[in-house]
Amino acid sequence: MLLENMAMAFSAIKANKMRSILTMLGIVIGIGSVIAIVSIGDTMRNMFADLYKDIGVTQGYCQVKSWMVDDWRQSDMFTLDEIEQIKAVFGSEIAYIDSAASTKGEAVFGRTKVDFNYEGIDYNYQEVQPVNIIYGRHLNQGDILGRRKNAVMDVKSAEKLFGTENAVGKTFRTTIYGDVQDYTVVGVYRKDLSPIQAMLLGDNGDGGSAYIPYTILTWPNDYFTQLHIFASEDVELGDFYRRFSAYIAKIKDRTPEQIYMYTAEEEMMSMDQMMGGLALAVGGIAAISLLVGGIGIMNIMLVSVTERTREIGIRKALGAKTRDVMIQFLTESAILSAMGGIIGILIGVGIVSLGGLALGVPVVVKPGVVILAVGFSAVVGIFFGLYPASKAAGSDPIDALRYE
Amino acid sequence: MIHKDLGQLFRLKRKKLPAYMTENVSQDLICLEDLVKIYDTGAIKVLGLKRIDLTIKRGDFVAIMGQSGSGKSTLMNILGCLDRPSMGHYYLDGIDTAALSSDQLSEVRNRKIGFVFQSFNLIPRTSALKNVELPMTYAHDLSKKERQERARALLERVGLGARAQHMPNEMSGGQRQRVAIARALANEPPLILADEPTGNLDTASSVEIMELFSQLHKDGATVVVVTHEEDIAAFTERVIRFRDGQIVSDQRTGGGRPASGVNLADRRVPDACVPGREKGGDA
Repeated sequence: MLLENMAMAFSAIKANKMRSILTMLGIVIGIGSVIAIVSIGDTMRNMFADLYKDIGVTQGYCQVKSWMVDDWRQSDMFTLDEIEQIKAVFGSEIAYIDSAASTKGEAVFGRTKVDFNYEGIDYNYQEVQPVNIIYGRHLNQGDILGRRKNAVMDVKSAEKLFGTENAVGKTFRTTIYGDVQDYTVVGVYRKDLSPIQAMLLGDNGDGGSAYIPYTILTWPNDYFTQLHIFASEDVELGDFYRRFSAYIAKIKDRTPEQIYMYTAEEEMMSMDQMMGGLALAVGGIAAISLLVGGIGIMNIMLVSVTERTREIGIRKALGAKTRDVMIQFLTESAILSAMGGIIGILIGVGIVSLGGLALGVPVVVKPGVVILAVGFSAVVGIFFGLYPASKAAGSDPIDALRYE
Repeated sequence: MIHKDLGQLFRLKRKKLPAYMTENVSQDLICLEDLVKIYDTGAIKVLGLKRIDLTIKRGDFVAIMGQSGSGKSTLMNILGCLDRPSMGHYYLDGIDTAALSSDQLSEVRNRKIGFVFQSFNLIPRTSALKNVELPMTYAHDLSKKERQERARALLERVGLGARAQHMPNEMSGGQRQRVAIARALANEPPLILADEPTGNLDTASSVEIMELFSQLHKDGATVVVVTHEEDIAAFTERVIRFRDGQIVSDQRTGGGRPASGVNLADRRVPDACVPGREKGGDA
């Protein structure tokens, strides 16, 4: 009987092709936009998660809140000895630590002048932020301990400054902390980013960037205000950073509130929450179009019931019960709506996939969202079909048979 | 004319009918007792039927005649369980129809009555076969295959075996009415109720249809035909005449053939009613 009803519904839908398509359009747009928006949201969250993994989700920055304490003192700063002390205390929980120092300066090579951003790193930075060295080598322990004026830069910066990718062995002159020195390029690396990542991380534009030993940037007095930490992959980040922050408070003789502790994970999570909420809100607005689509279905089903009054009369005269007629019309509206839902899913997923393909981003479409959307569209069809169907089922066979 | 397997198909095991349909067995198929129908239009009350008493025996072939407004359509609606009497009783096959809910009336119409209408009332865009299947579908007790076999046999019985897959709009009026008759026979109802069955047909088709009813009657069916045409009534064996909501005469006639002196050829039917009709050759 169900199959029979479905066959009947399909033939009724086919009999009025144009009308059925226009009716379905409301649901198609509704479901399509809900799926597209929710999937775009999920894709963005996924992308940010990848991005944070790229820049290091285990990392954190720590310092005494100089902007909050009234009695800022020399001991609130860190020293290289303290770094060794912290390493000894936390052992293998810390994968990497440096002074979080960076500075800007103009790099000069011959007549070429490029604004450079210098980031001070320790020799094992490659372990937490791997880059693909294509020429020469990365900075080593000797560079760090000896405060050698060596630099490692990415290919784009090398091209800008030297006009060639392989800049190993070339020297440039730059001013760091008022000290004019010659620096030698010991390595050139390439880092591949997706277009979206490049967009989000920002481009240096006309400028360049290079890694130099962090010990150069702590010089001459070896005091610095901030620590840059990478926790090991296997530590529980929340707990680790709580303990870390408490330890810093203790050695600096400060209250825990006076310690600034930024962690990438926290930021990632708040970003994730914000985007999830945003996707939900926009998806909710898109869901309103489903309501409009449902009303469209109700309208067309009412027209259909009126048009087929005589047919309903005949069916009732031949023995159709209220339930039989009810089921017939409900099946029709549910199928109309579910078909719209399926087309909507195809369009929604299609749009998101095409967008993902164009931007080179892996697309996330959760099966749960798709199932929910189909189910919801069928429910819309049944709900908005109820009134027309009960109107059809309740009609008096004599009046219905007389209807012209 | 009768399909050889039809008897076999009719003996298919079917769902047991509900108790109210079987608990009282009566000798007479139709029994009207003091039946009154009042139409209440709000402002005025119109008396449609004034205390009708009538019995129709099983196997009877009856014509109900009268001018428009005589109450014959009102009676037709009540006999067909499409409407309920205002007062009095209507027993169909022993069932007191006044006591039934509208779904039970649907069930009674489905099992006890085969309708044939003036305007055929086939479901549009639906094949002859599917139309004939419909009453069996609503009986909810035969498989799709059984329904199709039986519908095919019934179409063969009315001479339309070759047109099972045709749509109603691809058939002539006479053919459509024969599909309607096949449909009326689908659940093997005790009563065939025809409301002006030849009203939209030309002479030749009218004769064919009435001969088909005669044949059904000979095979044992109870047939009630509502008409205002004497020559149609002449096929029947009993003529009941109505005027102003009352029975004015109830006569037994010879039946079976048109009375002499009635010239069927004089009847004119608009051509529009018989699209693409053929020379009555497939009866």
